[in-house]
Amino acid sequence: MLEVDPKQLIRCPICEAVNIDKGKSNCCRRCESAIYHHRRFKTERSWAFLITAIIAYIPANLYPMLITKQFGMVEGSTIVGGVILLWEHGSYPIAVVIFFASIVIPVMKFFILLYLLISVKYPLGKERKVDKHKLYYMTEVVGPWSMVDVFVVAILSALIHLSNIQIVAGTAATAFAISVFFTLLAAHAFDERLIQESPYRF
Amino acid sequence: MKIENEEALDDFIICHKCQTLHHEIPLRDGAMAYCSACGTMMYRYDSHLIDRGLALSITALIFFFVANFFPIVKIEILGHAQFITIPKTFLSLFEHGFYIVGIFCSFLIFIFPLGVFLLYLWIFTLLKLQRGERLTRRLLVLLSRSIPWSMSDIFLLSILVSLVKLIGYAQIEIGTAFWALVLFVAVDLYITKMIRISEIWMLHKRLFFPQGRGC
Ligand SMILES: [Zn+2]
Ligand SMILES: [Zn+2]
Repeated sequence: MLEVDPKQLIRCPICEAVNIDKGKSNCCRRCESAIYHHRRFKTERSWAFLITAIIAYIPANLYPMLITKQFGMVEGSTIVGGVILLWEHGSYPIAVVIFFASIVIPVMKFFILLYLLISVKYPLGKERKVDKHKLYYMTEVVGPWSMVDVFVVAILSALIHLSNIQIVAGTAATAFAISVFFTLLAAHAFDERLIQESPYRF
Repeated sequence: MKIENEEALDDFIICHKCQTLHHEIPLRDGAMAYCSACGTMMYRYDSHLIDRGLALSITALIFFFVANFFPIVKIEILGHAQFITIPKTFLSLFEHGFYIVGIFCSFLIFIFPLGVFLLYLWIFTLLKLQRGERLTRRLLVLLSRSIPWSMSDIFLLSILVSLVKLIGYAQIEIGTAFWALVLFVAVDLYITKMIRISEIWMLHKRLFFPQGRGC
């Protein structure tokens, strides 16, 4: 017989098996993923990824995302500029999609991850556990949708390359893709368990 | 809380959405279990899981093949006809020197979606043949790690956005591959929502260790 505290039970993020939290070197009993080996620098890794993502997001907004070359005229548009342009042309649904995908989702994700990472160290909103799980779950589900604008740029530049009219990706596309990539890494590196963990457990 | 041994933890499940601990109850064929705290579907019992999995992954792979080899859209702009295919989308990024974005896109819209379904096919084939216990484990881990990086659904939305952007500038003709991609995404969403990885793990246990692992 084995006596376990239900609070000690954790879910393996890879195979969903219920495991007993054994402290330092947890290794999933079912899939043997060494996911909990890094728990010591868990938040540090997540912090590093998140900061990289935030830094990459700055050039993503300053440089043009899309460059249109039309009869010798070269015109670049940034993410915000593109959204405004679409709105002015009356393409409201598309403007809203791009606005959400490229501005709301990434910024919201930065804030949620910052909040979660800070609340691991300092007991912010301790009593509202479920909310935090929901927040985390939301960032995981909604996060990838911020790739929309990068894909759109890729599609348009592959489709339109005539001698007179050409659409080319701008520097911001690279910066933005890097930013999305690192936010996804930061979210995956963040240990969900830390949300419910009491600071006295170590 | 007292349990027999660590393996008895297989009778429990933690909701993937709200982290509530539940005792797993046996279900009748085709039934689903929902979390009492947040209402998410947690697991299902399907006696034909292997056959259904095999059928779905083969279907998805056929759609994926069609989606990649035929044009997604054709446009006519100033009398010039242009078309794109999925590989052309990321290859043109390489041509323009956008290597980083090109690598990202090729992974997110080509390598991962293809990889995920090849893994499903491989896993369900091994389970069907009841062979390769260890290999199946490795593949299942790889599958869980690959799924979040497969972004065909997002790519599909991006195609629609691009097309709306082009309305008025060019004549647009939707190609065969577009519909194949729609169907591929439908199967992809169905399989990731309805077949939870933990279900395959439970099946793996039932097939390879009918008497329990005895640890
Ligand atoms: Zn596991
Ligand atoms: Zn729940």
